[in-house]
Amino acid sequence: MKEALVSLVTALADDELIIGHRHSEWTGFAPHIEEDVAFSSIAQDEIGHAAAYYSLIAEVTGTSPDHMALGREPFEYRNAVFCERLNRDWSYSLVRHWLYDTADDVRLAALQESADASLAALATKMRREERYHLLHANAWIKRVSEGPVEGRTRLIDALGMCYAEALALFDILEFEDSILENNLLPCSSSELRGRFSMRATSELDDFGLPADVHRDLDDSAEFLASSSGDLIASEKDASSASARPGIGGRAGMHSDEFKALWDEMTSTHRLHPEAQW
Amino acid sequence: MEVYEIFRRSGHKNPFEHCGAVIAPDPEMALLLGKECFLRRREGEHLWAVRRSDIHALEDESVLEIAADKSYRFASDYRDVVDKREAARRRVASMSWGGAS
Repeated sequence: MKEALVSLVTALADDELIIGHRHSEWTGFAPHIEEDVAFSSIAQDEIGHAAAYYSLIAEVTGTSPDHMALGREPFEYRNAVFCERLNRDWSYSLVRHWLYDTADDVRLAALQESADASLAALATKMRREERYHLLHANAWIKRVSEGPVEGRTRLIDALGMCYAEALALFDILEFEDSILENNLLPCSSSELRGRFSMRATSELDDFGLPADVHRDLDDSAEFLASSSGDLIASEKDASSASARPGIGGRAGMHSDEFKALWDEMTSTHRLHPEAQW
Repeated sequence: MEVYEIFRRSGHKNPFEHCGAVIAPDPEMALLLGKECFLRRREGEHLWAVRRSDIHALEDESVLEIAADKSYRFASDYRDVVDKREAARRRVASMSWGGAS
């Protein structure tokens, strides 16, 4: 039960921390000053949510939230690879922001029904703040998709890079069986993925953006929980060309882009592990 | 892109007050950006965005100048009324209206 809760909340927290870190890299570089402030504020919100999740873990395990955020080795992070990708350009970050916050809304709605009362309460609280993120993301996608053709083309390219990787936000979690048995999540990750992809494709359709850029994706590459609770790659090698891209994050397998982010994010903590903030 | 002036209200009984401006493509975006720029610390509970071009300003500020003595338009000019009223009351009280002496 305890390890199931820690597994679930660590995945949620790491997603928030890592995407928040990537968002924050736009501070000082966003297209205009107003957006710089807005996007930086969203980045802070996401990192704040990570801190709230880590505190929940700290109550169960006794580790400190700072240690959870900054004191782990790269393979111990459970964020989806989607969150750790470099920002590339503004359209990429916008599309990722939209996909992430749409997925997060689906996930938080489910978490509000969690049997763990503090997790359910936290989800309700966060969802209020996430409403603004969704409004912001929708406003941007709508305007860029209706604007000049260059912006639209860039959105479509970014969707091509992002959409399939976003699905990995709902890859199976460590101890997923136990998570479901204990009703920490009311339904499985793959059920949530179905809800997310239905909603995302329908909303993209409303924006007039192609939602089916990855209809031909091979969905058979999945990570399955073995009897020991570890994740093993099933069917196909994750690196094979036909596998859905960006999988493995939930099992601690990250890209080189993550290693660079981790180096930078944890450098101060590694130099001064006892420092108090 | 246009300039939108942002107004916020700190409580429902208070007037909206100007707090800054944002550059945005339309009103919805102006509100979204204005919220983060001027209300992210909960400085208010309501927000307006007004297109700057919709604001009509005086062309000649000199019309606001007051040339002659208009002190009668200011409450401060009537401050001695209280003293005058008190003096009048005292006067009335001290008056004798006949009667036995």
